[in-house]
Amino acid sequence: MLAEGDKRRVMQNIKAHSHEKKVIVLLVLGLLLVVVVATALGAVTVPLNKTVEIILKDLGVVKFEQAPFSASQEAIIFFVRFPRVVVAVLVGAALALAGAVMQGMFRNPLADPGIIGISSGASLGAVLAIAWGLTAKSLYFMPLLATAGAFMAALVIYGLSARGGKFSVLTLVLAGIAVSTFIGALTSLTLTFLNEYQVREYLFWSVGSLSGRRWEHVRLVALPVLISMLMLMLFARDLNVLLLGEEEAQSVGLNPAKTRKWLLFFASVTTALAVSVSGHIAFVGLIVPHVMRLLVGPDHRVLLPASALAGALFLVICDLVARIVVMPLEIEVGIVTSLLGAPYFLFLLYRAKKEGVSL
Amino acid sequence: MAGAEAIPRLKTEKLTLAFQGKPVLKGIDLTVRAGEFLGLIGPNGAGKTTLLKCLNGIYPSQGKIWLQGVDLKNLTEKEIAVRIGVMHQNVQVTFPFPAGEVVLMGRYPHLKRLQRESGQDYRIARESMEYTDTLQFAQRPISELSGGERQRVLFAKVLAQEPEIILLDEPTASLDIRHQEQIFQYAGVLAAQGKTVIAAVHDLKIAARYCTRLVLLKDGEILADGVPEGVLTSENVSEAYGVRALVYRNAMTGLMDVYLPVPKQAAKRIRLHVIGGGGSGSDIMRSLVEHGYEVSAGVLSEEDSDFKCAQFFGIDCVSAPPFSGISEAVLEHNVRKIQKAQLTVLGNIYFGESNLRNLEAALQAPRLILVEDDFPQARDFTNGKALALYRTLRKRARVTTSAGLITTVEEVLAQGDRVDGEKEADAAEVFGSERAVLLQT
Repeated sequence: MLAEGDKRRVMQNIKAHSHEKKVIVLLVLGLLLVVVVATALGAVTVPLNKTVEIILKDLGVVKFEQAPFSASQEAIIFFVRFPRVVVAVLVGAALALAGAVMQGMFRNPLADPGIIGISSGASLGAVLAIAWGLTAKSLYFMPLLATAGAFMAALVIYGLSARGGKFSVLTLVLAGIAVSTFIGALTSLTLTFLNEYQVREYLFWSVGSLSGRRWEHVRLVALPVLISMLMLMLFARDLNVLLLGEEEAQSVGLNPAKTRKWLLFFASVTTALAVSVSGHIAFVGLIVPHVMRLLVGPDHRVLLPASALAGALFLVICDLVARIVVMPLEIEVGIVTSLLGAPYFLFLLYRAKKEGVSL
Repeated sequence: MAGAEAIPRLKTEKLTLAFQGKPVLKGIDLTVRAGEFLGLIGPNGAGKTTLLKCLNGIYPSQGKIWLQGVDLKNLTEKEIAVRIGVMHQNVQVTFPFPAGEVVLMGRYPHLKRLQRESGQDYRIARESMEYTDTLQFAQRPISELSGGERQRVLFAKVLAQEPEIILLDEPTASLDIRHQEQIFQYAGVLAAQGKTVIAAVHDLKIAARYCTRLVLLKDGEILADGVPEGVLTSENVSEAYGVRALVYRNAMTGLMDVYLPVPKQAAKRIRLHVIGGGGSGSDIMRSLVEHGYEVSAGVLSEEDSDFKCAQFFGIDCVSAPPFSGISEAVLEHNVRKIQKAQLTVLGNIYFGESNLRNLEAALQAPRLILVEDDFPQARDFTNGKALALYRTLRKRARVTTSAGLITTVEEVLAQGDRVDGEKEADAAEVFGSERAVLLQT
């Protein structure tokens, strides 16, 4: 039996999250560091202190009487590398957050935006935007159609695997494969009717890449992605309750079907917006939340922000590797994440099989 | 106060539900008030769990459900959850949430989306865990707790919801007896404090002991509704479960108990007689009945537990009023039964003046088996008189123990068929002379 004082402490400690807070702080600091390093490194390496000075000056944080750096350094840092890193931060955070939400809502550590067809749906939306010549009219058509495609694909797959409030993860995965393949075929079909210029425009969709991303890409998606991510984070407690299971969740007053639909909507939007500037980048949404769950536990109030931060960190590093590993050539960041992600995914499968976890 | 009394906590009217065209609930009318601990009993598939899941809106049912006079359809999920808490059966929590967090989730219906848990929420969660004796697990991952611990944590979660109505779906399905009783004790106390508890229960003994009211369901309909003594009758239980069931009060505890005869062998047209008394015959009679024999018994005192057992099994029994001994007429009656039986079994009885005539009657048995679990010397309270008689019996009887009884019965019956004539002749000779002697004394 516990003494009175201990009892109070026991319940308070549940919420102390001292370890989890430490992880979040470390992730924030790590992200800042990596952003600066990734911006500084490249074909022309700029010293770290100068990099920081350039970023702060151009963001309007500090003013210099006489700039301690050259104009060409400033151009490389602020108009080439920094926006690219910012895109990496946004995309990485969005994909990892959406992944964490998917894994939580389906109570399955192998769920990921790619697996349930969101990425392929977004690709189809994007290629249609190109085919119909909408991209020339406004930059916003591409992300809009990508989002619509992603949400439609997710809805079809969810609808196939959920009947009358119950749903099966196995059906979800199988339906995801079938629908993704079907949508992939539609995308290829559309591609055959495109001209050479349009095909090139589409190309960055097929392999995820951050090469050549500028401030206009940041402006395009930053606000909607941040809003959509915020909405997902507001569902953290609901996701916790969903983990107890369908009927248990309903018994404490949560409508699982309705909550899932909202989650699916915002996760699709988040993913689609990210993918509309980066193309399909595999495995970020799968590995990052999984590692974070091992580090901070299953509570989504900690897990979601941790996953977003770690996703940003991971993608910035992957993009840095993609840029400098075979200089002066550059490989696509999607290749790097796949090379790291696929073996890890297989490891997860192997472990799930060993522990007798069914899909 | 009087007004609140008038509105029942929970009322259903013509509650109906069908799964894929197959009716599961067929018009359930139920009114449950504050302070009631209602047990839903009935065979598998009777609709117990389904009914519970309709009551808090998990299953969309036809008909009406009122919570404290408010139509369930007009309430949001959170509003329902504030009024009704449910403990489901076999909840699998595979994610390693600390148990305390899980209990705090019971506060979910009381919190707005962006509202953080207040000190009061923590206090309620803590008190709930104290009540179910789980506070010491607060920081342990629920996935690592044992079945009983997890169930108590989930019970604390239901309490943290602070509902007026608590639904328990087979709350003790995976628990050992100690934890089973514990959960029902908690629920009983809550009902006594004015909550309403409705539990789907498999174990009729536990249901009879703790519930203030039982509702017996069969094929989605209410078969019986009322106090446990009224609902749990042999007739009701037999009808609902489709077996011959015997409901009785346990002699040791005075609690209701249910016995289902388990026919281990098909009914035979072989009649056996049992001489028992003082509880020595009960096990023999039950065992023989279960093995399909026709059984008669006697002479038993009407006070004897063996007599009650014989009645319970519907055994043809010669009895005598208590403390009156065995009269000549009763002895004759018993001897006739013994002679009609192919085989007589004498239980591990204690010998006194009052049952001496049962030993005498045993001498008339065509075939005799003695059950000896204790030395006969230790069982004699007649200064050797009974012992002498018993020795005579022993000479031509098969002796066995309780455990070996059925095997011995089968052997003796088989032998009897084989060397029938010879043995019969032998026996008649012996019986003839001794019977004369014995009946004279």
